[in-house]
Amino acid sequence: MTITEASETRALAFHTIDAATHDLISAAKSAYATPETGFNEYKTAAFVQEQLQALGFVVETGIARTGMKAVLRGSQPGPTIAVLAELDALRVPSHPGADPETGAAHACGHHAQIGSLLGVATALSTPKIKNSLHGNVAFIITPAEEFIEIQNRLALKNAGELEFLSGKQEMIRLGTFYDIDMAMMVHTSAGNGSASLSVGGSTNAHVSHQVRYIGKSAHAGGAPDQGINALQAAMLANSAINAQRETFRESDVVRVHGIISNGGSSVNAIPSEVLYEGRVRAKSVEVIAPIAERIVRCYRAGALAMGASVEVQSVAGYHALRQDPIIQNIFVANAELIFGRDSIDIVPDSQTNGGSTDMGDLSMIMPVIHPYINSASGVGHGNDYIVTDYDRAVVAPAKIMTATIIEMLANGAQKATETLDKSNPPMTADEYVSVQRGRFTTEVYNPS
Amino acid sequence: MAERANLKSSFSSEINKRSDELERIARDILDHPESGYKEFRTAKLVADWFMDSGFDVQAGIAKTGVIATLNTGRPGPHIAIMGELDSLIVPGHPHADSVTNAAHACGHHAQIGSMLTVASGLVETSVKDGLAGRISFMATPAEEYIELEYRESLLANGEIEFFGGKQEFIKLGLFDDVDIAMLTHTGGETAGTIGVGGSNNGMIGKTVQYIGKAAHAGGSPHLGVNALNAAHLGLAAIHAQRETFRDSDTVRVHPIITNGGSVVNSVPADVRIETYVRASNVPAILNTSEKVDRAFRAGALATGAEVRITTNPGYLPAKYDDRLSEIYRHNAASLIGDDNVIQLNHSSGCTDMGDVSQIVPTIQPTANATSGNGHGIDYIVDNYDLAVIKSGKAMGMTVIDLLADNGEKGRKVSGSFNAPMAISEYLARMRGFRSDVTYSK
Repeated sequence: MTITEASETRALAFHTIDAATHDLISAAKSAYATPETGFNEYKTAAFVQEQLQALGFVVETGIARTGMKAVLRGSQPGPTIAVLAELDALRVPSHPGADPETGAAHACGHHAQIGSLLGVATALSTPKIKNSLHGNVAFIITPAEEFIEIQNRLALKNAGELEFLSGKQEMIRLGTFYDIDMAMMVHTSAGNGSASLSVGGSTNAHVSHQVRYIGKSAHAGGAPDQGINALQAAMLANSAINAQRETFRESDVVRVHGIISNGGSSVNAIPSEVLYEGRVRAKSVEVIAPIAERIVRCYRAGALAMGASVEVQSVAGYHALRQDPIIQNIFVANAELIFGRDSIDIVPDSQTNGGSTDMGDLSMIMPVIHPYINSASGVGHGNDYIVTDYDRAVVAPAKIMTATIIEMLANGAQKATETLDKSNPPMTADEYVSVQRGRFTTEVYNPS
Repeated sequence: MAERANLKSSFSSEINKRSDELERIARDILDHPESGYKEFRTAKLVADWFMDSGFDVQAGIAKTGVIATLNTGRPGPHIAIMGELDSLIVPGHPHADSVTNAAHACGHHAQIGSMLTVASGLVETSVKDGLAGRISFMATPAEEYIELEYRESLLANGEIEFFGGKQEFIKLGLFDDVDIAMLTHTGGETAGTIGVGGSNNGMIGKTVQYIGKAAHAGGSPHLGVNALNAAHLGLAAIHAQRETFRDSDTVRVHPIITNGGSVVNSVPADVRIETYVRASNVPAILNTSEKVDRAFRAGALATGAEVRITTNPGYLPAKYDDRLSEIYRHNAASLIGDDNVIQLNHSSGCTDMGDVSQIVPTIQPTANATSGNGHGIDYIVDNYDLAVIKSGKAMGMTVIDLLADNGEKGRKVSGSFNAPMAISEYLARMRGFRSDVTYSK
């Protein structure tokens, strides 16, 4: 394909997406209107399935409960690039778009990803464009990116429905990515400054702690001396955790934060069982390890102080995000066609965002990119996080991803092949699965 | 009866002749306060006074203790009349020593005055000849359980074994043949009254050392282990135990930080805490001590520091003798009127008179002759007539009741006393409280 042919193909793609703008934005808004938390996204999944089937795709459904996969084959064999969209919402009951019953709300803008994935699928399904591809494109719709409702997910794990607690993790385990060579998705953001798009950088790894304090109940007024207060134990642990903060190095981007998910049953009984859910994040799984050890020490200290016992269940969380420079460069070049050079913020690899994504896990086994499109207002995960610019949130990412794929799979998939040759993922999918399994541990500490 | 009344009358008139001198001695001690096991000047003053008054005197007992003995020459009970030599350390007290900050913010100087008052009346031949038995005037060091590091150094040097002066007296065998003991403390209840009866908490003392790792607090705090954070968490963990303390046990745990770090730009690596664990009974002291140790250990565990917990025997709970109290009450009432003798409640404070009370029938009435808060900068004895003279008279008249008629009443009080423990058991128990454990990872 000559340069002229390539720009003609891209122009056709942009034209196709522009023509579908109304439908794509409607699709995103439709997902926004049915917010569902991770592994429960049945309505959203059914909707996306319908849309893909309408484009002529054969859709594999029910992967990790609600995940899906549809593959578009190019005219020639070649690498397979995945475009990802996340199905799940958060739970923010006071969000204007919250489901009044469940409190689920798209306070992280995943619904926009649905729209942009459908945009890519629409454009690439055009016969002329599809024929230009020397390779394949997989549309992978992933459940449960938000690492929440851990107790519910652990129940699903115990019931044998899941092994890992996020969508992409579970899909890696199930082999959904065995035939995928590289992946991309675009996430919304409320941005900083005037940049329209932010690419590059890393995100934190994390581990979740499910901490159960067992004390002894007693009448809180009549016989407090007979009780062992599990809530005091948890609160002391929380204070102890705070006392560790001066030992955290800025360069490690440590975040430690917890919630008390059960703080006692009735106020006139000494709490005998308290659940604390903690999260430890830092710039890599390796950096987390010694910090998590300190945090576990704090959990134990709470138990020791009160004479309670504590069970600490560590739940394998996410890995840090590694973004591929070649895909990123192509993505940026195509983004410049839409936003101009000055409106694109290129974050250095060394800069780690405090948050986490299971795109990081996928980046352990293949080259990926995970840019952010500045199209929302408010605070991410807050009740004021609203996608305000749907053209930018849905249409622009669809165009840039489509153009990036066209370029990568053109000319015998030269760029995609180069990407694969130069990429050096830290582990294979099988190694990843084994590492994650090793991160699930349970210890019981009973000092008395 | 008439005989006793005569004895008491001679006793009183003898004291009246010397009341100015006795009050002056108390005020002199007030102006020269010395903390426990350092009361050298006070001890010399007491020893000199007794020698000048013709008593047999032993000095330098348990460093600074003094005993003066009055022997009637007739067999009978042995009574200890006691006074405490030591002061507190209260910077800002109007009578504080400008160098040491020692201050009589607990009124012990008045106790010496009342003890000497008893001695000046009983030594009079017409009184002494009416009595049988012996009276030992014991000026005891170190009732206040303070300056634990200093006392630990005395312990390490073999100069003392126990931190309370009366405990040392017991250990040295000075209570082996004592039948009855009494001491009058000042108090701040309704002015002009004397309190009788009551009881006191017992206690143990702890010194705690957190050992962390120093590092530049700005440049490399991640390389340090913060002993102050460990201590802070240990203290917070102690507070979280409080809801488990039973009202009836009157538990008190009140730590201080004696070393909280050396310089602010270095992560503190050595932090020291002193605390008491007090309660009304020994099982509650031991139970609380276990909780406190657990809490201190948690601070170390959380931060990765080490903690060394040294526990020293403190004082035993005090229970004052009912029969002896009744005799005393009668005498006090004869001096200040029935309505002015009040019944004391349980006090959550502690005294080494508690230890004495576990061995012999004991009373520690209070002369309510002060204003301000006990141990505070405003604690002042403002009624010396009550604190020194009347207090001495009430004790001395009680001695007369006990030792007159061949010591018949004294024998009764002593004979009906059911000692909670023998001296050998007492010593074994006190030594059993002692522990020194370092907890590390």
